[in-house]
Amino acid sequence: MMSRFATLGRWLHLFAEFISAMMLCVMFCAFIAQVTFRYVLNMPGGSASELTIVMWLWLVLWGAAFVLRESEEIRFDVIYTSANPKLRRVMTLVSSVVLLCLYGYSLPAVWDYVTFMKVQETSYLDIRYDYLYSIYILFVVAVLIRYGWIVVMTLKGREELPETRGEGMQ
Amino acid sequence: MNLGDPFLLCVISIVTLAVLGLPIGHAMIASSILYLALSGQDMGIAAEQILNGLFSSYILLAVPLFILAAELMNSGSMTLRLLAFCNAFVGRFSGGLALVNVAQSVIFAGMSGSAIADAAGTGKMMQKMMTEGGKYPPQFAAALTAASAVIGPIIPPSIPVVVYSLVSDASIGFLFLAGVVPGLLMGLMQAGIILTSARRRNFPVEEPVPFRELPGVTFRALPALMMPVVLLGGIYGGATTPTEAAAVAALYALLVSAFLYRSVTFPSLYNSLRSSARITSSIGMLIAGALVFNYVVTVENIPSTLNQWLQGFDLDPLIFLLIVNLILLVLGCLLEGTTILLVIVPVFIPTANALGIDLVHFGIVCVVNIMIGLITPPYGLLLFVMTSISGQPLRAIVTEVLPFLFAMLFALALITFVPDLSLWLPRLFGYKG
Repeated sequence: MMSRFATLGRWLHLFAEFISAMMLCVMFCAFIAQVTFRYVLNMPGGSASELTIVMWLWLVLWGAAFVLRESEEIRFDVIYTSANPKLRRVMTLVSSVVLLCLYGYSLPAVWDYVTFMKVQETSYLDIRYDYLYSIYILFVVAVLIRYGWIVVMTLKGREELPETRGEGMQ
Repeated sequence: MNLGDPFLLCVISIVTLAVLGLPIGHAMIASSILYLALSGQDMGIAAEQILNGLFSSYILLAVPLFILAAELMNSGSMTLRLLAFCNAFVGRFSGGLALVNVAQSVIFAGMSGSAIADAAGTGKMMQKMMTEGGKYPPQFAAALTAASAVIGPIIPPSIPVVVYSLVSDASIGFLFLAGVVPGLLMGLMQAGIILTSARRRNFPVEEPVPFRELPGVTFRALPALMMPVVLLGGIYGGATTPTEAAAVAALYALLVSAFLYRSVTFPSLYNSLRSSARITSSIGMLIAGALVFNYVVTVENIPSTLNQWLQGFDLDPLIFLLIVNLILLVLGCLLEGTTILLVIVPVFIPTANALGIDLVHFGIVCVVNIMIGLITPPYGLLLFVMTSISGQPLRAIVTEVLPFLFAMLFALALITFVPDLSLWLPRLFGYKG
């Protein structure tokens, strides 16, 4: 049963990764379209430009919610990596529980904000803002589930956290 | 300020959560939620700041596009051609391959915009070439590769510069130009160190490439060498905005590797997209955290309070720059550069402005400084990357990196106190600073 879940999880992760790669691809193509329309065909259009920025917003939050592994997150881990495994587990537990409380506590307000935004639409593509911003709710829920899982795993004594800090963009 | 002050608690919470090992982006978002809750504000503001912030910072779109361009470049045979090109020109001197290492960093700086990408991509190849047949001590090769990768984000295009331009509102085009001379200066200094130690340490000379072959080697590398021209030409020719130029650069990289060098396949293209998307998300999280934390900082009026406080000391601009440099150097050893650019640097900007320090110059000083943090022992990230690539112990690499580190600090001092080094080129292109 467990392995079936694991397989399903792997497939879902591959799928999430595919979606994020496609978002980047769409963003890239929309940019090229925008440049072509503006400078080659002399037809300025806001739609392509809006599409790029919609993709950027979704790419960041979708990736953070479903694609990034713990080892890819950018963190400050000078102290974390030098702690012994027991202390490390305590550190993970404390920080994860704090995160769960704060994100969880803010969820109703986030919901209110996003649903309130239904009154507006984007300028060119006429996307309702509550649809556009719904990615943030997905993000918060995914983070809550992920950190809930980390807490359970840490309590069970399995440690899956990384040894090195994320690479970032330097 | 008392201990129950929401802002103070927010800062303490960020530091604590980050030290406990939470990703920095999450630490900032969670702590800002804490601030909003404690100060009785609507917690939906966190969502609002992140969503509106990401949705309106058009300039940040250059980040994923530069990453994509670099991935496309690295996946092709472009690297090999560029190395052959560098070798043909500087390989004939003593310490030839070491010079090639520096030269390729300067040239590659024209495409990747990321020091880590440089070290992990071409750096890996350089490490192998330099240590093959025992030519160079492996710890020297690793230290040099780390040191030369630092140059990458100084010379355009540069992702840290894009981030700085977001927080400072300084022109990204002029910032790009301002990095060129300081980057070349740093390259020359590294070459100087190699040349002076080459004889003493008996570094080998590469088989000289006959002069009649130079045009051929150059021609084969030309499409890759044209990349910076495409990018900067697009911006300064007035044809495209910097963000569009980044897209054009990525398209150019794709076309060159696909059609001229025939080194792109669908799987490799998908891999480039996939890994660029991942890096984008991980940087994006940091930006999201900084967006909401910067809201808190603005509400609390921190930058102008600091400005007023510093005004009381009647600081000389040079002293101020010196202090900022020291603070950034210390932080740069501990924190990831983007975090510093997004969270710490904005606090200094109003003061820099009030003291009459040019913000383009200030940006280059900050970026050079943060890049130096990458090779500062014991925690420079590039040192770790090279430890894992070369298999050499950290201590050995650190010993070898020290001369380069001191040279880079000297370069930082020059760049800080001689603003013309950064501003000469932008002024040539009409910058009124």
